Amino acid sequence: MNRKQFLYELEQLLKDIPDNERAEAIQYYNDYFDDAGAENEAQVIEELESPEQVAETIREGMSESGGEYTENGYKDARFQNCQQVSAEYQKESKEKGSQKHGNPDMWKFWCIVLLCILLCPIILPLGAALLAVVFAVIIGILGIGIGAVAAAIALPVAGIATIGYGIYKLFLFPAAGIALGGIGCLILAAGILVFLLVLWIFSKMLPGMIRGIIFLIRYPLRKAGIIR
Amino acid sequence: MVFNTGAALLDAIVLAVVSMEQDGTYGYKITQDVRKVIEISESTLYPVLRRLLKDGCLEVYDMEFAGRNRRYYKITDAGTAQLNLYKSEWRIYSSKINHIFKGRNEQ
Repeated sequence: MNRKQFLYELEQLLKDIPDNERAEAIQYYNDYFDDAGAENEAQVIEELESPEQVAETIREGMSESGGEYTENGYKDARFQNCQQVSAEYQKESKEKGSQKHGNPDMWKFWCIVLLCILLCPIILPLGAALLAVVFAVIIGILGIGIGAVAAAIALPVAGIATIGYGIYKLFLFPAAGIALGGIGCLILAAGILVFLLVLWIFSKMLPGMIRGIIFLIRYPLRKAGIIR
Repeated sequence: MVFNTGAALLDAIVLAVVSMEQDGTYGYKITQDVRKVIEISESTLYPVLRRLLKDGCLEVYDMEFAGRNRRYYKITDAGTAQLNLYKSEWRIYSSKINHIFKGRNEQ
């Protein structure tokens, strides 16, 4: 489409508005093309989108319907959702909407329950096995934890005891006494390290793990819309 | 730009752009100047100019340029008064918005 076709089509589309209004509009866009220059003609046509779009804008401007000129063209809030509403809010209202007509979700929920009952013979052994695995893992972690705690207590005690024994030996066999004292210090150091590690695990990792487990349990329920 | 430009603000911007040229300016240049500040489509400006013309804020005259008649838009006294009103309203509005934004940041 070139400029001539564009203006011709625009004129045809504006047949129903008063003659002087149409002449004004055509004059304006004629000037516009002249001032843009022949080299920008294609670009101007592209930015104006189409004669229909321009005609629509002109007509809406004449009706003074109380719409608004926005950066994306003419908008009438009465007929169109406001663009300023953030995507988040739209999502939220959509969720609200689906809750209001919550029947399909409930149907889905009951279907899943029915399916679970029907698949009982398969699910029960599987579930038991799964539970056993989870239980074993928890016991395993607990075992490691208890071991670590025991080590955290036993190592410093052993270290201090060895140092004490070393000091006693120092009077009889100085070399063996010093060696024992050194070993005792090493054990004490290892014990303090383990103690700090256990402390860190209990303060940082445990709450995180519990939150993770809670999230895993909540996730499918929230997805199904049973809880929020 | 995430903020929409309402009709009043667009009127104010167009009046300000036109008022900057003592001898008036023409449609293409007004569009380009407005587009330096806000993103609007090229077809948006004609209805605005038409309305401002009808309200007596702008006047037009034709002058020869490069062997053809070019339509020039010029601000009227009523238009200048309207622009001053917009400017003072904008000062109040923007300072209030700035104030509340700043207050939030400092907390």
